[in-house]
Amino acid sequence: MPNARILAAALLAMTSPLGAVAAEPASSPTLSLSGFGTLGVVHSDDDKADFTSSPFQAVGAGHTRSWSAAVDSLVAAQANLDINQRLSAIVQVMSTQNYDDTFRPHVEWANLKYQFTPDFSVRVGRTALPLFLVTDSINVGYANPWIRPPIELYNLLSITTNDGLDGSYRWQMRSASDTLQAVTGRTNNEFPIPNGGGSETADSRRQLALVDTFQQGFTTFRLSYGQAHLSIPALDPLFDAFRQFGPQGAQIADGYAVHDRLIRILGVSASYEPGDWFAMAEWARINLHSVLGEKTGWYASGGHRFGQLTPYVTYAQAKVNSNTSTAGFNPADVPPAVAATVSGLDSALNQSLASLAAQSTISAGARWDFMPDVALKLQFDHIKLGAESQGWLTNLQPGFRPGSGLDLVSVAINFVF
Amino acid sequence: MKRLMTFNGVAAMRVLGFAVCLASAATQADVVAVVSAKSETLSLSKDQLADIFLGRVSRLPNGMLAVPIDLAEGAPLRAAFYAKVADRSPAQMKAHWSRIIFTGRGLPPKSVATSVELKKLIAANPGSIGYMDETDVDSSVRVLKSD
Repeated sequence: MPNARILAAALLAMTSPLGAVAAEPASSPTLSLSGFGTLGVVHSDDDKADFTSSPFQAVGAGHTRSWSAAVDSLVAAQANLDINQRLSAIVQVMSTQNYDDTFRPHVEWANLKYQFTPDFSVRVGRTALPLFLVTDSINVGYANPWIRPPIELYNLLSITTNDGLDGSYRWQMRSASDTLQAVTGRTNNEFPIPNGGGSETADSRRQLALVDTFQQGFTTFRLSYGQAHLSIPALDPLFDAFRQFGPQGAQIADGYAVHDRLIRILGVSASYEPGDWFAMAEWARINLHSVLGEKTGWYASGGHRFGQLTPYVTYAQAKVNSNTSTAGFNPADVPPAVAATVSGLDSALNQSLASLAAQSTISAGARWDFMPDVALKLQFDHIKLGAESQGWLTNLQPGFRPGSGLDLVSVAINFVF
Repeated sequence: MKRLMTFNGVAAMRVLGFAVCLASAATQADVVAVVSAKSETLSLSKDQLADIFLGRVSRLPNGMLAVPIDLAEGAPLRAAFYAKVADRSPAQMKAHWSRIIFTGRGLPPKSVATSVELKKLIAANPGSIGYMDETDVDSSVRVLKSD
């Protein structure tokens, strides 16, 4: 029955010239072009590793460059084509640092949207996985208070886009609204391997996300759930090797391999933005049921606007809930002839587990809206890496100390056009 | 079908007039929210107005599609309106719409250059809502009462 009703509504919407948007004058197709960008530099005082703003970036600030313009800088252009009052198309092309240290542009979004009613739309194509408050505007610096969203939360899930289907329904109450978004599809992402080691693919299929956003006045609450089946083929050889060493090896491989692995994430977000100040907090837990571990991340951030100046502070933390080491093979069950080999496998696995990111960051900064459509931001961050952890640092060099701390200074200009 | 009837019903709505502005002690004349004199919407709360102009809701309380209309970017009245209704600066509004535009979730209200154009658009559609200087109000529009 519900299906029949939706179908009927769809047919009505498509055949009737007097739908919900009939009150607006009829219009011919209109094309609008817009864009946004960031010019930013960040300095890290730890030259034994690179700070990057996402795991997609090959190089960052610290080791590769003391001051790096490659972490926050990007530019994007977007075309919206309103074909008629219900059907629209959107393409967004972005140039930002890629996994291979180039700025080759890529298609960030490309989708067709059909607006069945003002409150119900379906999109087909490439869209965002909007699990957190700013996931879908993560690159639009001008739209956000900070230079970059807290990576302790936003790096938990590196899957940010969805190639597939996306439906959104909004309920309106007298003074509040609730929007339920359902997303399904797949994504392929290419990640850099540290220190110029090439790249690896993360293949995420059967993605499903449900995101409920409640909004009343200045208050927003969001509850999100996502799941996917993740494969990282580059890790297969390690676990295939484990499987060659009997039931014990197979058991270890079953527990840690990233092959068609069901991953789940749950997130809760809240924000209050009365205008002169803002406060927001988000929490999420992700379980990758594999060598990638189970992690929790959260942050709280607030700021106050004084005319064109908006200073803010943020505290963010990420921790690993699963074990960051394993005993591996039981030596008693391993024939002496292969002892060295299995101990090599154990140590490779333990190296991966130890690299799981735990860290916290305290940030203070300010946004200055000194002219229309342009904002200047200055931000200081102190990152404290979790015990024995490299946090989200990459390109580690000899002499790097896990569990240490580092300071960042960032300056950025955000613009929209 | 229900939607069609609502539309036709609203089109035949009777004419009524009410006026109260969103008060301000500013030195310039007051900015007031207006609808068509033919609209059946007499009043909206500050939050409801903000929700409509921030693109958070699509309908008026009577179920009709709300069509907010802005003055051009940079217009002092526009800044005054958003300061009053949403407590937001022009930069904050720009940031708000950037978030929506660049995620493909919507587009900001259509904007016009003058209150004369605004009145023309509002007269043409009972669902339209705009704002203007109190002194520009004439019989074609009705100032919305604030609940």
